[in-house]
Amino acid sequence: MKYRSNLGWTAIAVVSAILLAALWAAPLLWAVSTALRPELETVSADFHWLPQTWTLDAFAKTLAAGNLLRWLLNSALVSLAVTVVTMAVSLMAAYAFSQLRFRGRGLIFALAMLAFLVPFEALLVPLFRTMNQLGMINRYAGIVLPQVVSPVVIYVFKGFFDEIPADFREAAVMDGAGPLRVLWSVYLPLSGNIVWAMAIVTFIAAWNNFLWPFIIVTSNDMMTVPLGLTQTYDAFGVRYAQLMAAALLGAAPVAAAYIVFQKKVTQGFLAASGLKG
Amino acid sequence: MASVRLRGIQKRYGDNLVIKGIDLDVEDGQFVVFVGPSGCGKSTLLRMIAGLEDISAGTLHLGDKPCNDVAPAERGIAMVFQSYALYPHMTVAENMGFALKLAKVPKAEIAERVGRAAAILQIEHLLERKPKALSGGQRQRVAIGRAIVRKPEVFLFDEPLSNLDAALRAQTRVELAGLHRELGSTMIYVTHDQVEAMTLGQKIVVFNGGRIEQVGTPLELYERPANLFVAGFLGSPRMNFIPATLAGEEGATAAVRLPDGSVAEVAADAGHARVGAALTLGVRPEHLQLQADAGGSGIAATVVLVEYLGDVTLVHAKVEGVEGILAAKCNAGGTAPAVGSRVRLGVEPGRAYLFDETGKAFASSRALAAAIPQ
Repeated sequence: MKYRSNLGWTAIAVVSAILLAALWAAPLLWAVSTALRPELETVSADFHWLPQTWTLDAFAKTLAAGNLLRWLLNSALVSLAVTVVTMAVSLMAAYAFSQLRFRGRGLIFALAMLAFLVPFEALLVPLFRTMNQLGMINRYAGIVLPQVVSPVVIYVFKGFFDEIPADFREAAVMDGAGPLRVLWSVYLPLSGNIVWAMAIVTFIAAWNNFLWPFIIVTSNDMMTVPLGLTQTYDAFGVRYAQLMAAALLGAAPVAAAYIVFQKKVTQGFLAASGLKG
Repeated sequence: MASVRLRGIQKRYGDNLVIKGIDLDVEDGQFVVFVGPSGCGKSTLLRMIAGLEDISAGTLHLGDKPCNDVAPAERGIAMVFQSYALYPHMTVAENMGFALKLAKVPKAEIAERVGRAAAILQIEHLLERKPKALSGGQRQRVAIGRAIVRKPEVFLFDEPLSNLDAALRAQTRVELAGLHRELGSTMIYVTHDQVEAMTLGQKIVVFNGGRIEQVGTPLELYERPANLFVAGFLGSPRMNFIPATLAGEEGATAAVRLPDGSVAEVAADAGHARVGAALTLGVRPEHLQLQADAGGSGIAATVVLVEYLGDVTLVHAKVEGVEGILAAKCNAGGTAPAVGSRVRLGVEPGRAYLFDETGKAFASSRALAAAIPQ
């Protein structure tokens, strides 16, 4: 009887999982379906799940007419820069908070963590004023710099470093390594998966970030993909097929990056959670 | 190689003074063992010599050079950690050569020095393996190899054998002694294992509560402990302590009254103590003479446990008026008394120790049994 009861719960769990997966996938599939229709069909009163006429027109027009390749390049540059600088800053900060002993360490760490409590929206005006004064409107540095301080990444790295036995650091110090060398040659290799996981998450967040680029960028040539998508309309209104094609093209590199590094991301989060993969 | 000189060394964590003024000289090429119970400060002192802990007060000289503020890597010291601390992502060769790589030593020389150290330790076949593919004993050798390639003036060992099983520990002890003879380097070795201390050390430093209790050769410490702590710490089973009062003294012999009213003579100069003073009589288990209770001399006791260890038999006995159990070592060939039987424990005057109320040993009139070859 117990076996039958377990079987029932398993069936409910499987059906729920399938429904949730369908719910998650529906918008994505709808976007693909829309992008593969002629523009007229997207505003047709007749509803069809699949295109009545299959075409790649929307993709062709998006690539030919818009500035998508430029936006893709901007997104790639900005996201890579944000990821690299965030990783560098966070790793060094986490190492200092975790392994170095200096006056005010606890206070500074508490202040860094307090940044959790401040929503980014609250910083928009002062950040914009600062960037404006520094002449960084419509500059890559202006888009990148406000995104590189991430308390959550520092917190995760610090937690990870705290778990690494101090003997490794001390052995490296005895071997003649300074703090940066210890971080680079010992702590970084020992934290490989969690660094990859944080890097991918940071990259995706930077790629998808809309708000800050929307504030700091006014030039079409400096737009990132999410910002550029708002430009896919003309005098006749929004071009839905082109909009979905642009969104899919814009998301493709991130999806590809995630698929390539999926295993490392999973292993990283498992390592951070203390579970064995 | 270098000598190590400590003068007035203190370590303070906030208001807590954990190392309370250490004066010590380690001679060039000497093998010195720091021994003491957990928390006595021996590892902290070793880490201060290494440069991993700041020195709160006092001076540290390595050779003629004051080193209080010298970076660890520049002290000419190599350390073998209790956990070995081998970098898991590097091969054995990379682990051993890491310090040389940081020092920008040419690759060919690194390979040559790593190879030579590996040959000394017979680990050449392990050079391309990662630490996780090594046994405990192999890791321990690699950790020593990592120290050797740096050609340090002073080796520091922080309980390096504590993670090995008993058989491997005994074997590695012999190898370490051989390594010291071969390299001739100054070595400071921390352990809480008195067997390691007695077998490895040319000089033993006994620590307790952040202070040095006594410094001497293994035999000096065993035969002439300065106080109750050292007497009780060295030796297994530990020395038996029996409360006593001074009944009289004459020359280099003191007579003490024991809890059962019997009187024992001890070859100790108790001249500065008054008759009737509370003292402690110390007798090592191998010097307690076990006799059947036929009403003769000796301390009356009841056997509570008999342990057959193969080479010896340990008899544990309870004496009226004495806290704890006394232990006597008997020849395994003899007949051991039964549990519950009454026995008498004889004390040989020349083999007993006498400690005053503060725990300090009275000077003994007996000579050391033998000299330890250095």
